[in-house]
Amino acid sequence: MTKTEKKSFHQSLAEWKLFIYNPTRGEFLGRTAKSWGLILLFYLVFYGFLAALFTFTMWAMLQTLNDEVPKYRDQIPSPGLMVFPKPLTALEYTYSMSKPPTYEKFTEDLKRFLEPYSVEEQKNLTNCPDGTPFKQSGPVYQACQFPVSLLQNCSGVNDTDFGYSKGQPCILVKMNRIIELMPDGSPQIICDAKDADIANILTYPDHGLIDLKYFPYYGKKRHVGYRQPLVAVQVIFESSATKKEVTVECKIGGSSNLKNEDDRDKFLGRVVFKVTVST
Amino acid sequence: MEPGKEKGTATPREQNQSPRPNLKPVTMNKNLRKKKKKDLEELKKEVDMDDHKLTLDELSAKYSVDLTRGHSLKDAQEILFINGPNSLTPPPSIPNWVKFCKQMFGGFSLLLWTGAFLCFLAYSINLRYNEKADKDNLYLGIVLSAVVLITGCFSYYQESKSSKIMESFKNMVPQQALVIRDGERMQINVKDVVLGDLVEVKGGDQVPADIRVISAQGCKVDNSSLTGESEPQSRCPDCTHENPLETRNIIFFSTNCVEGTARGIVISTGDNTVMGRIASLTSGLTMGQTPIAVEIEHFIHLITAVAVFLGVTFFFLSLILGYGWLDAVIFLIGIIVANVPEGLLATVTVCLTLTAKRMARKNCLVKNLEAVETLGSTSTICSDKTGTLTQNRMTVAHLWFDKTVYEADTSEEQTTGKTFPKSSDTWFYLARIAGLCNRADFKPHQESVPVAKRATTGDASESALLKFIEQSYNSVNEMREKNPKVAEIPFNSTNKYQMSIHLLEDNPQAHMLMMKGAPEKILDFCTSFMLNGQEFPMDEEMKVDFQNAYLELGGMGERVLGFCYLNLPSNFSKGFQFNTDELNFPMESLCFVGLISMIDPPRTAVPDAVGKCRNAGIKVIMVTGDHPITAKAIAKSVGIISEANETAEEMAARLNIPVSQLNTKSIKAIVVHGSELKDMDSNQLDHILKTYKEIVFARTSPQQKLIIVEGCQRLGAIVAVTGDGVNDSPALKKADIGIAMGITGSDVSKQAADMILLDDNFASIVTGVEEGRLIFDNLKKSIAYTLTSNIPEITPFLMFIILSIPLPLGTITILCIDLGTDMVPAISLAYESPESDIMKRLPRNPKTDNLVNHRLIGMAYGQIGMIQALAGFFTYFVILAENGFKPLDLLGIRLYWDDARLNDLEDSYGQQWTYEQRKVMEFTCQTSFFISIVIVQWADLIICKTRRNSLFKQGMKINWWFCAIPYSALIFIYDEGRKLIIRRRPGGWLEKETYY
Repeated sequence: MTKTEKKSFHQSLAEWKLFIYNPTRGEFLGRTAKSWGLILLFYLVFYGFLAALFTFTMWAMLQTLNDEVPKYRDQIPSPGLMVFPKPLTALEYTYSMSKPPTYEKFTEDLKRFLEPYSVEEQKNLTNCPDGTPFKQSGPVYQACQFPVSLLQNCSGVNDTDFGYSKGQPCILVKMNRIIELMPDGSPQIICDAKDADIANILTYPDHGLIDLKYFPYYGKKRHVGYRQPLVAVQVIFESSATKKEVTVECKIGGSSNLKNEDDRDKFLGRVVFKVTVST
Repeated sequence: MEPGKEKGTATPREQNQSPRPNLKPVTMNKNLRKKKKKDLEELKKEVDMDDHKLTLDELSAKYSVDLTRGHSLKDAQEILFINGPNSLTPPPSIPNWVKFCKQMFGGFSLLLWTGAFLCFLAYSINLRYNEKADKDNLYLGIVLSAVVLITGCFSYYQESKSSKIMESFKNMVPQQALVIRDGERMQINVKDVVLGDLVEVKGGDQVPADIRVISAQGCKVDNSSLTGESEPQSRCPDCTHENPLETRNIIFFSTNCVEGTARGIVISTGDNTVMGRIASLTSGLTMGQTPIAVEIEHFIHLITAVAVFLGVTFFFLSLILGYGWLDAVIFLIGIIVANVPEGLLATVTVCLTLTAKRMARKNCLVKNLEAVETLGSTSTICSDKTGTLTQNRMTVAHLWFDKTVYEADTSEEQTTGKTFPKSSDTWFYLARIAGLCNRADFKPHQESVPVAKRATTGDASESALLKFIEQSYNSVNEMREKNPKVAEIPFNSTNKYQMSIHLLEDNPQAHMLMMKGAPEKILDFCTSFMLNGQEFPMDEEMKVDFQNAYLELGGMGERVLGFCYLNLPSNFSKGFQFNTDELNFPMESLCFVGLISMIDPPRTAVPDAVGKCRNAGIKVIMVTGDHPITAKAIAKSVGIISEANETAEEMAARLNIPVSQLNTKSIKAIVVHGSELKDMDSNQLDHILKTYKEIVFARTSPQQKLIIVEGCQRLGAIVAVTGDGVNDSPALKKADIGIAMGITGSDVSKQAADMILLDDNFASIVTGVEEGRLIFDNLKKSIAYTLTSNIPEITPFLMFIILSIPLPLGTITILCIDLGTDMVPAISLAYESPESDIMKRLPRNPKTDNLVNHRLIGMAYGQIGMIQALAGFFTYFVILAENGFKPLDLLGIRLYWDDARLNDLEDSYGQQWTYEQRKVMEFTCQTSFFISIVIVQWADLIICKTRRNSLFKQGMKINWWFCAIPYSALIFIYDEGRKLIIRRRPGGWLEKETYY
């Protein structure tokens, strides 16, 4: 029994060898060199043609696109809300006041992020009139100044640590850019601590107002130098609080066309983050 | 002690002691169990019973039955209840739960179960480490399990449905038996016949059980289906031999009673009969896998290998690329799901069932679904002659009178219109002798049936003559009434003639002696011959002519009869008492009239069918028990030996040289005699099968059929075999496809066969071959269609991993394609009509022409599939680009894209997207990718309709598609108009009635 099996194993091995290279017929993997050449040539031509066709259709499609405005914007009718700096893990700002390395990354990020908002950087931008939308029709689009001073304590001008070293960290909240979005009313970012006994929340500019002059946004290509309006949130822990940990929820308010209560999208017009500060 | 003996001898004795054979079922079961272990030899010895040696009284006592009144009804009921019905147990079938499990865990199911298991695993791991676990994996796992369960149940249902069709076929023709119970004769169903029943059997009946004869009148039985003896054997109540198979007082279940009547006691029923034991033996022979089963298995292995290879490769690749374990597992599942054509096996089953139904409509009943396809790959057909190639009805083929050979019409429908000079006086005499000196008669009540198809009593040649005279001369009955028979000597094998004396209608006082028989015998009686109605003395020239004619007709394989007559002198006029035992009248110096030859003519459709087989590259071998000359004649007339070819003997005769000097290479046809075959070893047989293209085996026994089949199979042919007797069943089983005859076939052969020809017609086999090839082609098309979509299903995953783009096609969507949109079109391809070359190409080589070969894979995966994938990706990139993400910005975006905490991802235009917004976008893309696949699959479906023919030739009338277009336009115009009015007139009548 074993003998026959062994033989068949040898046979199959020999068959495989013969399949890989058959010297009598000059076949490699069941095909002669000519056969291989032909089939490879065929697929080369075939795929070459397909690639050319695909490239052409893609090129043609790209030609139909407008460089300034995407063809459809119905997938993002309402902006999401996001915080900055972005913690590595979930939206939890955990650091220790006494250990600068635990918050240095946050402050570094904030500094770098706010650099374009400095007066120096914005000197070429327009000083737009407050309270009204800054509608433009081109061909040259101007960007409005967003003076960093609006962020007051969180501007980084007076306090280069953005309050982190004092246990009063600043976190920037920004509304996602959407081309030609025009909010109704006077949009503002309203932030609340889940537990008011533990922390007080301050927002800059006052009441978290976002001026309408920063709308509408005209897109990366046209609206060069656009400064996204920011709202800074500073968490001030009550001195009585034993545990310096609070969950903060921010929402867009004051505007009827900006949604903030979507069941599925937890970031549509709102954002929740947690701040934990230890000594 | 052998169980057979136990059953045959011991049990009845026990029955003898106790009034009812209570022990019978127990021994039967025991017997059944042991039976399986036995081989043929042992079973042959087992035919051992002593009933034939018992006297009638002993017999009566043994079965406690009255030999004149039979069982009482109550007793019969009771025995039936104890012993069970008198029918052959079908071969043990695989239990249902095993079949179900095969469907559940066979084929791709195992792969999908693995996928489902991985899904659940991924979900549970996710659940353990992450409280808000993604439920997608759980759903996918559930869906996958459901898919396996549903397709498994569906396949199981299909299979049980088709086996039910087969069951119902078995009960299609219930046979009746004539039994005597309570002194009354009654017709009952054969399966209700019980042990000890008093049964009457008459000519033409199939014997309902093994019966010990207690009285018989001229009873002859045809045991050929049991023993292979073709001569009918007479039966009488006396025990003539020790061996029950040889003795004359036992008739066997399922043999035929040819003539006479017999009455007897049933001594065994159902599986205990001699036939039953042989039947269960043949069912024990294992069958090889059908070619399509091999093909499908090969295909499953191929696809599984590809799936596992790709899955594992990308599993490790994704690990190397830095994805987590969980992600890698999910990729693995996705790749497996994309690779496995989930709906395909169900499609295949449906295709086969459809074809089986179609075959049944064409008079081929297919028992095993897969057998349909086997028939298509058949490269050799070993066919019977009688009944299959021929009409199984002796018919007058030639006449020889007035020194001329005339041809008669032998076609089934009498349409050739061949004729001969009926005005000749010789014909008048010949017809009269043939009609009067003839014992055959039409059975009553057949006036509406065409003469050729009427049933007759009596010997085949006599019936042929009867029909011939009825058709071409006059009503035979009328003739017999006008010329009454006064004496006769019936035909027997020693005298080889038949004589009868009749009063003549034109001279009522005179007698005429008429004789027919073997020509040489007849000639010996004659001293004169008739030519154009005139008598001439017999001379040498006439004798030479006679010899030539006899040889010519005999050489055509026909059975020749000579006819002569004598007008008896006046001293033997009316009223003379003829004594046929001691001849008291002259029976010499007769006048020779002519010869009539008969043959079982080929069926009309057969030559055409054989020609089709030729074109289709199928070798047709005739295997018959008949005489070589007859076999050769039929073979020539149907084209099995084509006109251009001649056998060695013929060529030798033509060239006038001995056979040994011939150049054997140029000879393509041969007639092999059974006795030559007996002396051959397998090499010699192989040599014959290899070198000759046209082969006829004559005078073969059913056992030799098995040898021939095995020889063909050794040479790599796929062999179809026809057969009808019980002894054919080993050959039928051995063949790749056994074909039994629906009309003449015995139940056992039908059981052994894979296919049953309901009309016994060879042409139906050819139809079957065509259907078989068609199903193979259509399955190929179906598989090509289904496999093509695998590429657009799997490339999204590969691109997702390699290029790090958002996932273009989800796993659930893949299932939607495989089980939803691809399935019905794939089934529709089973209805595709054959292409023009279907019967013009060679049979496929089972070793190299696989169902799924590298050309099919290359075409489906390498070419069409690639185009489809490009279509999908194009749609995908268009949608993302038009919404803000340009193709080049997408490359490498995956990590950010799939990061649920990154809610301000910037697109090419500077807009920012939340995770949820991106996902909605992604699902839109997946939907569109799905739609793209569906649309390109439309085109694929249409191209898969043909493999060689142009679509426009294959009944694709494109212009018919456009007929509906104006009406579609009308729908648009009408509805836009309606909506316009509704907008213009809010609350108006139209809005009230039509706004929904």
